[in-house]
Amino acid sequence: MTNECGRTPVSGTPEDESSAPVDFNRLSVIEERLTTGNRFSHIKTQPEFAPDRLVCVYDSRWYPPSVQTARLEIIWFENGDFSLHYHETHEDGAFDHRWDRHPSGHNTRDHIHPGPNAPTPGDDTSHPEDWRDVLSTVLTEIETRQRGFWNE
Amino acid sequence: MEDPDQDLKATDGERSTAPDFDALVSPEELVRGNRTRDDFLDAVLGLDSPATIDEIANHADHGRDAAKEYLEWFDRMGIVTRVTDSPVTYERNQEYLIWRQVQQLREQYTTDDLLEFLQTETEQDEIYRETFDAESPETVSISAHAADTDRSIESVWDALSAWKTTRRRITLLERALASAPDGTTDRHAAA
Repeated sequence: MTNECGRTPVSGTPEDESSAPVDFNRLSVIEERLTTGNRFSHIKTQPEFAPDRLVCVYDSRWYPPSVQTARLEIIWFENGDFSLHYHETHEDGAFDHRWDRHPSGHNTRDHIHPGPNAPTPGDDTSHPEDWRDVLSTVLTEIETRQRGFWNE
Repeated sequence: MEDPDQDLKATDGERSTAPDFDALVSPEELVRGNRTRDDFLDAVLGLDSPATIDEIANHADHGRDAAKEYLEWFDRMGIVTRVTDSPVTYERNQEYLIWRQVQQLREQYTTDDLLEFLQTETEQDEIYRETFDAESPETVSISAHAADTDRSIESVWDALSAWKTTRRRITLLERALASAPDGTTDRHAAA
């Protein structure tokens, strides 16, 4: 049982453990939208004919030289579950942050794994219902971090 | 999300070339696309049950007149199906979405490409059947399998989702191949 946004109800019901195939239609819409604008240098898909994730590589102009690469990996499923993984590489390490909605042995369906190493278990949270709100919230949080590199 | 560590921040010299974040399209605008059509497409593709014109206008954040016009157009395109007349309700045409994906596969790849993809996905399906010791992902319980194999809920969920994705790809590829015209000559092979 899912609501109009395709979100499975939370709580300890059997539905809480459901899984679903990757939503190729949604990934294709997201790819089309994110290709416009200047945030990303390119978006990779694998396999190309029906991708299981979008790898969105941020343009290096948004970072000082201390950051070698930064990308956002986007996976969305037909039941509304998702995993969005932000990853930065630095000369001496990396920074990771994940926004997740999926069954878990240690968290509610909605949770985050905060940086620097996106540890398990993460923090319980509540993500927006609409996929567009989830995605724009995530992009905004990343932009806030990007701006932070340039502040004193 | 955390702020960057101090040692990663731009140096005084680098700061003079700071990028202009304010020139970016806002995330809200970016994910919504820039056309009214995108708003209505998102609204109808998100429907799981029949909805009235007013409900769809509300989802799309546009007026009723625009909703009526777009829904009539989507109905002609086969994207939505009109369910009832009083009140008028529409639902998403799931068959259309599948048909569109199959058409895209047919347009972008040769029959030989599609056969190769199908071979890869079928082999992957066989691996999942052995891994889960099951004929279909529908029969696997995430928690039971996690307990039996001493794996985490997340890793079993991840693998089971991937298996379902493989199954979905096989369905799409089989349909694309079934709709291939007989005696198609592969354009790479012919070259």
